[in-house]
Amino acid sequence: MESRRWYLVFIPLFAVLGFVVVYPLIASLYISLTTVSGSFSLSNYAAMVSTPTFWNALNISLLYSLSSTIIAVAIGLGLTYILTQELRGRGFFEMVYILPLAVAPIVVGTVWAPSGFWDDVQTFSHFQLHLPYFNELSPLFYFPTMFLSEAWEWEPLIMLVAISIINGTAKEIYEAAELHGATAFQKFRMVTLPSVLRSPVMQVIVVLRFIDAMRAFEIPLAWSNWLGYTTTLGSPVDTISLYIYKLLFSSPLGFSVGVASAVALTLFAITLVGALILLRILKAVGD
Amino acid sequence: MTEKTTSGSAKSYDRTRRRLRTRRILLYVVAVLAALYSFWPIMTTALEGYNIDLAAIFSGRAFRLVGGLRYNGGIYPSAIYYLQSLGVEAYPRLVVDTLIVAALSISIALLVGIPVAYVLARIDVRGKTLVSYLLLALRTVSQYVVIIPLYIAYSELGIYDSFTGIALAEQVLILSVVVWMLRGFFADIPRDVYEAATVFGKREWEVFRRVIFPMVVPGVVVTTMFALVLLWNDFIIADALTGAATRTVAVGVWEGLAINQLSFSAVAWDTLNAAGTLAYIPAAVVMLLIKRYLAKGFSLGLAR
Repeated sequence: MESRRWYLVFIPLFAVLGFVVVYPLIASLYISLTTVSGSFSLSNYAAMVSTPTFWNALNISLLYSLSSTIIAVAIGLGLTYILTQELRGRGFFEMVYILPLAVAPIVVGTVWAPSGFWDDVQTFSHFQLHLPYFNELSPLFYFPTMFLSEAWEWEPLIMLVAISIINGTAKEIYEAAELHGATAFQKFRMVTLPSVLRSPVMQVIVVLRFIDAMRAFEIPLAWSNWLGYTTTLGSPVDTISLYIYKLLFSSPLGFSVGVASAVALTLFAITLVGALILLRILKAVGD
Repeated sequence: MTEKTTSGSAKSYDRTRRRLRTRRILLYVVAVLAALYSFWPIMTTALEGYNIDLAAIFSGRAFRLVGGLRYNGGIYPSAIYYLQSLGVEAYPRLVVDTLIVAALSISIALLVGIPVAYVLARIDVRGKTLVSYLLLALRTVSQYVVIIPLYIAYSELGIYDSFTGIALAEQVLILSVVVWMLRGFFADIPRDVYEAATVFGKREWEVFRRVIFPMVVPGVVVTTMFALVLLWNDFIIADALTGAATRTVAVGVWEGLAINQLSFSAVAWDTLNAAGTLAYIPAAVVMLLIKRYLAKGFSLGLAR
């Protein structure tokens, strides 16, 4: 009887969500579907689709989020393997591995900049290993570096979640594997990996990671700065979010807010669909 | 005959032991390499803030120059860039502004979120799943879908570059996380506690206020710290909706670089590194404090 009163708690929630989500969604739709004079038109979407730079940004975003998610999962599981072995100073190693998680994404772009971390690598390989300098302005360098730095920040998360899943796995399974003479690596491959990858928690984490990387903004912004594309719309490192930002703040083409809204809504639609597809795939792989 | 087998098994025992030892050493090597990979970029950044360029050491020519000539931005430690970023970039201002934004938006998120989380975890009301999914969907909204209309609305309402405006907009970032995380903490309280409390005939609200809420206070603290790190590191929303009066740390660090570039002042690089390090340290400390709960926070309360 009293339980109906509990619905009251949803009122402030819906008030906040209405203001920061529902209203902006409707307003974005309205802005993207009207011309400056206020009449209905699809011209913003037409402009978006007919610009090659938009498709470029879309491709980059897809490549960026897929690669960085895969790298993060791979390295994250590698770190998990290390930490689940008998290892002295485990706590210390775990702490060090977690550190990148606290770096603000905009600082990650700085930390992994050509004149930051790579400067050390460059000089070391040149002077100590006598290798030729590698070209930091080549796409073969900066794309992998961007993906790696995105993964670098988030792989500790994959590791933490994997460890929490392992801690929840029945100890008996490991004991049984040991009785059958499984080596440490076999135990990891045959017991740990399946239970981690099939866990719904890990699947949710991977999907969220994919969505977040799809919207990646800070690291590409930093790199567009390092590569001299600060105000170039449609530069090779423009992800969709960065593309919208440049449309809004430094558009040389004089694009309207309408196009930016159209692109933002398209991104939202893609992340929603992408999340659903990815969840399906993960479920299929897990079963 | 027996002797032979004994010595044979001793040999194989030896071999196994040696193999295990090699494996252990290899494990430590990999563990240390992984630690370097995690920590090196952070360390380089912190050192470059002191104008200590490790590259100079790797070139094999730096040691001769220590304490002597200034080597090409090389090994001549100086705290000037940290002092600069503390002074010129008005770092304390940035911190205070960030904390105001955080205090406001976390208060909103907790006030709205705690009752909702409690209901989602424990009370049987219809439409619960719908609310959970809505909150999950909130996590996938592209920030610019929100930023563009809010920017226009704020400019018209006159709350652009105001703490209230940003605190509201940041709900996109933290509200779903706060609700889902707290939901997990409420769900962790054993059912017996609820039942025992209700047996004593307390009303549901009383049960919540007197029994359940005090038990979940540590969870609220953890959630607050988690949201604080998210807000501290947020760039995209804060960059669009804050101005001179409300700029947060992450934005300030980056703008410092941009401003330096525009005015062609000599080396913005070291200052950027110093400011980045200063921004990083508090976030790292808070994150390590709530290390045990990070998996929970990032997985929307699903992980234990």
